Amino acid sequence: MSNLATALVFWPSTALMLVTGANVFRTSSMARAGLLLLAALGIEGLVFLSLASEFLGVLQLLMMSGEMVIMVFFMVMFMPDPGGLMGMDMTHDKRRAATLAAAVGVGLAVLAVLTDWPARVIGTSAPDVRAIGFEVMGRSMVTFLFAAMTILFAMVGGVLLAKHGGRYGRDD
Amino acid sequence: MVSLPVVLAVAGVMFGIGLYGALGQTNAIMVIMGVELMLGAAMLNVVGFLRYSWPHATSGAFFVLIVMTLMAVEAAVGFALVVSAFRNSRTAEIDDLTELKG
Amino acid sequence: MAAGRVSDLTPVAVLGVALGGAVIVGFLEQVVAGLRPAPTALFGSANAALHEPLSRPDVRDGWLFHLAPGLLLLAATAALAFVPWAPGFRGIDLSTGMIAFPAALAYVTPAIFMAGWGAGRPLAVVGAFRWLALMLAYAMPLAMVTTAVAAPAGSLRPVDIVDVQHAVPMAIVQPLALVLWVPAILAVCFLRPFDFPQAPGELGGGAFSEYRGLDAALVGLAQRILLVAVSGMTAALFLAGWHGPVLPPALWMAVKTLGVALLLLWAGERLPRPGIDRVVSLAWKVANPLAIVAIAWGGLMTLIFYS
Repeated sequence: MSNLATALVFWPSTALMLVTGANVFRTSSMARAGLLLLAALGIEGLVFLSLASEFLGVLQLLMMSGEMVIMVFFMVMFMPDPGGLMGMDMTHDKRRAATLAAAVGVGLAVLAVLTDWPARVIGTSAPDVRAIGFEVMGRSMVTFLFAAMTILFAMVGGVLLAKHGGRYGRDD
Repeated sequence: MVSLPVVLAVAGVMFGIGLYGALGQTNAIMVIMGVELMLGAAMLNVVGFLRYSWPHATSGAFFVLIVMTLMAVEAAVGFALVVSAFRNSRTAEIDDLTELKG
Repeated sequence: MAAGRVSDLTPVAVLGVALGGAVIVGFLEQVVAGLRPAPTALFGSANAALHEPLSRPDVRDGWLFHLAPGLLLLAATAALAFVPWAPGFRGIDLSTGMIAFPAALAYVTPAIFMAGWGAGRPLAVVGAFRWLALMLAYAMPLAMVTTAVAAPAGSLRPVDIVDVQHAVPMAIVQPLALVLWVPAILAVCFLRPFDFPQAPGELGGGAFSEYRGLDAALVGLAQRILLVAVSGMTAALFLAGWHGPVLPPALWMAVKTLGVALLLLWAGERLPRPGIDRVVSLAWKVANPLAIVAIAWGGLMTLIFYS
């Protein structure tokens, strides 16, 4: 992607991503919070696309849509005021959290700008799908298998935790 | 002009926003949302390095793939825990789930 | 984007295909309903919808409510952009098109959720949640079937999948994949018999019941564009796309797309709508395991015939 095209997609997407991400914690409506997170992480997929990672960008867009809607579903189930009509404040330790988060965020940004990154601009294309496929099935197969097992355990464990009657079952 | 420090700075700011959510919110699901933002920032870092420093590092792309997968897994297990906690204590606020407090 | 091409005219052409396709689908709907195709009726209703005063029904969450048709339209048009129509007009030719297409379709889910939740009426919200359950159940077979179909081509680009079918259409090589694909795309387009979000008999109109005027027209337009997109992708993936003996490639593609669209509309007209619990349990207990079998079958076919 040419530099102009990259910049044209990157800057608006990044601005929108940060704004929606910040608003996730400012709104009191649960549906809006979940959908704002969807917007933030989905637009991150667009940012990946602008940085020439086609596969990762498209994958991010695909996964975030389903995941975030499930999140909204759970929030509506378990939160005291999902519609946000009463404007409850659900934060604790707001000042300390905000100062710590601001310090870490600004610190990382300053670190990123001031560090003397080694100058290597070799090409502008990220690994293409074929290369990633060979990587997954070849060199990183063991990691992939471990990730698959983790997913399986998480699925089984999640169902076990969440089913009626809890982990030990009921007598009836 | 988009370059490596810019991408890393943006990811750093996003990490800060996620950290604010993870530290400052009382509901467990909102904490999970903060963690998702932090993981998103980490992925953005790796993608920045893929673009500007090591364009042919397939292991980097694989790393992002695994992080994306584990984002979903962590959210799923988190939701299952919230369901279980809600069934037992009728609340999902982490300030009220203090049974193990000494 | 590494190996994709977006020429200057592609977005305009995609929009043209979207709008033209929506009009043709409107005609097909009239044909399937047994009426004589009447252009005046189609444009008359669209005209009336556009001229209705932009009403603002008293809804709970106005932002989400009014953004939903736009998101639906965006998802439909984006899905349409990834369909390859002819060797000369490939839409947005991404090398990961077979992931981008389900990604675009996946944004129908948040859109319908926003519509139902934004309306705030209890039945609308329940309609939206029902839709979420349905889409989750059918999104997995949809994604797994795209894997099975991409295996023989060795590529995620839809054009490569069309080209690998120059001898034999994929419907003959992988019939199980086709059998699983059709209900999944019907569910995504919320067409009958899977039209749980908005059917008149279900939940008093369901998730879209509060829309009036321009919003309702946009939702109808988005549904028709979705039908064109999934019919085109079915023709490209399973019916050998533009390959055919006599006619030029674009014409073959158009014929196949319209044939699939007509078949889907006709099936929707004839088949009764089962209860949602049956549909969802069918998806989880039957479709998902069979989708894994379809992937294995696709791999087997690739090893035997395509490598």
